[in-house]
Amino acid sequence: MSVSAHPFRKYMRSHVTRTTTCPGCGNGIITQAILRAIEELGLEMDDFIFVSGIGCAAWIPTPLFDADTLHTTHGRPVAFATGVKLALPEKNVMVASGDGDLAAIGGNHLIHAARRNIDLTVVLVNNGIYGMTGGQTAPTTPRGVSTITSPYGSLEHVFDICAMIAAAGAPYVARWTTYHPRQMMRSIKKAIQKKGFAFVEVISQCPVQFGRASKLGKAVDMLKYYKKGSIRINKARDLDKEALKDKIVVGEFVDTEKPELASEWIRLKKEVGGYIS
Amino acid sequence: MSNGKRVLTGTYFQMGNWACAEGVIAAGCEFVAGYPITPASEIINRLAQRLPQVGGTFLQTEDEISAICSAIGASWAGCKALVATSGPGISLMQENIGFAVATETPLVIVDVQRLGPSTGVPSVGLAGDMVQVARGSHGDYQIIALCPESPQEMFDLTIRAFHLAERYRVPVFLMADGFAGHMREQIVIPDEDRIEITGRKIPEPGKTTMERQDFLDVDVAPMPVFGRGFRAHVTSSCHDEHGMRNLSDPEVMHRYITKPIDKILNHRDEIIQVDADYSGADVALVSYGTVSRSGRAAAHLAQAQGLKVGIFRLITCWPFPDKEVREMSEHVDYMLVLENNRGQLYPYIKAEAAHACRVEFLGPQTLGQIHDPEFILARIKEMIK
Amino acid sequence: MMTSKITIFRQSCKGVEDCGICIFVCPKQALIESDEINEVGYLPPKVTDESLCTGCQNCMISCPDFAIVVEKEPKKSSDKGGSKDE
Repeated sequence: MSVSAHPFRKYMRSHVTRTTTCPGCGNGIITQAILRAIEELGLEMDDFIFVSGIGCAAWIPTPLFDADTLHTTHGRPVAFATGVKLALPEKNVMVASGDGDLAAIGGNHLIHAARRNIDLTVVLVNNGIYGMTGGQTAPTTPRGVSTITSPYGSLEHVFDICAMIAAAGAPYVARWTTYHPRQMMRSIKKAIQKKGFAFVEVISQCPVQFGRASKLGKAVDMLKYYKKGSIRINKARDLDKEALKDKIVVGEFVDTEKPELASEWIRLKKEVGGYIS
Repeated sequence: MSNGKRVLTGTYFQMGNWACAEGVIAAGCEFVAGYPITPASEIINRLAQRLPQVGGTFLQTEDEISAICSAIGASWAGCKALVATSGPGISLMQENIGFAVATETPLVIVDVQRLGPSTGVPSVGLAGDMVQVARGSHGDYQIIALCPESPQEMFDLTIRAFHLAERYRVPVFLMADGFAGHMREQIVIPDEDRIEITGRKIPEPGKTTMERQDFLDVDVAPMPVFGRGFRAHVTSSCHDEHGMRNLSDPEVMHRYITKPIDKILNHRDEIIQVDADYSGADVALVSYGTVSRSGRAAAHLAQAQGLKVGIFRLITCWPFPDKEVREMSEHVDYMLVLENNRGQLYPYIKAEAAHACRVEFLGPQTLGQIHDPEFILARIKEMIK
Repeated sequence: MMTSKITIFRQSCKGVEDCGICIFVCPKQALIESDEINEVGYLPPKVTDESLCTGCQNCMISCPDFAIVVEKEPKKSSDKGGSKDE
């Protein structure tokens, strides 16, 4: 052994020695991509406040990260994070949470944070199911898949969360899968640096709940599925809806600039009250 | 009119909601989130204008849940924070009121109460949330609630609310109603140096999360606010003194519930205020908020007719002034509880007093209207017959 | 020829049977399931032949449990994450 500890242990609370995810869960891949992004940007944990909701993905920053972490009620991390950012505009505020938390119960907050363009980095971990509570149907569970709350197969249609967030006006929107850890990491870097609402959706394997419900199998089988089923946006643009039916479109969908809320508040305070933040 | 001044010292003739907003600014609050709702909207209307003048931020959210969540986030980021709403908004906020309690977050919540249930009548005052604010979230917990009776008190008690929230790291409710919020009366805003501002205690730097006690101290742990390197761990889950999640140790579960409760109850003498004048009285009129003005008028009418009637006004209704009520019960023969509802605090008052005196309840002739003093007097006479 | 040094933190690993992502993403078959369980009962991988390793760090980057480290030039004191590929 030439290293006594993983180089990223420096970002972790010393008394937290194990990850709590199931074997093969994609959350840990995303956790490492976040830490790599922070390292490559030359930033430190004290430059961040991490906010997460309820669900397996919300355990990405808590209790592991040795940083200010806020573990909120279900669905609300984006709302909490908005208050944190407006009060501490010079800090990076990152939300990491799941698809049920952010886009189901928390959907309204997500839409409005994108609309008001508050400078947050939001990593939405999409595993297509409510994993922590035992495998119930989520707004991201494909139609026809049978879960414990849609035992006859889901009758509903799937959310294209990236499309919704882009429509709400977010200046950075990207989607990757856990089969694309390097691209995911680069998007997270860009998202952290983006002055505005920066959204990265990551399709991530939940072998225990979704793998069984969908019959996709174990972690490696699911990664093979992501590899085979994903298509880059630059290629997807030329294809019609029918050809894209069971594909996962990945890449950067939006990358623009627009006035950001926390900065606008600093400007307003200067103008109205002569206050220098 | 304001020119970026925090304290608009002077005498005014203004509505209670205006006074509340000025109290918010004078107390040093720097973050307000809100959603429009009658009869509270004037508070956020004014704060939207005043806050940036004094370096503060106002966020109009997409709903009341977002309002309280962003206020809690801002409080953890170091700001004094406030939300202002009415009954339906409080109902929406309940889950996160529990979050604020469990994470010991300083927060002031103004509830300009209105006639319910449900949408009801937005512009008519009624004390409909007196128990909701104390018991509306799941679990066992203690909060603080203050009852202003006038526009002046909507200024004064807002200042006190921030003092208590910061001192005890707890949500503090200002239980106004549509009448106090919308009525206009004289308001005196004192000189800045006459207003006592309290800020939460912050830990000394240098210790790690596991070396500090950030939570569950009955004498109030210093708050490890974000952005200063404390690396605080704040979670809605059951947690220990360091804030670390613990769902397996029964002792931790026990302390998670009892310490925040004891934090408030152990300091009840410093927190509770009542306005009592019942010495020599046979009958005490017990009330709070705008109804107590009618009670006072009724007491004067009664005294003018030779009846020995005193008053007892709850300025603090939570934690409940049990000792004060019990003491009064041993000095009077009758208590008449006056509330503009069907009796929300009445059972709590009766529980403390019925062993020593006769306790009865009187709502207004018509709910949603303050009692006529003559109506109260008639009931007093009937009661003591 | 680049030298690589692979370190497997066996006690952090959650086993090849239900994970095994490192083996899947390795382009050189440098990893295989070991036959010695760790303290919680999982079977971590072991290195087949370290000279096969190109230092791509796929396994390190894709491990969900921070259980494997690949150093490209073990004599250097700094440790950089992220690959230069693609």
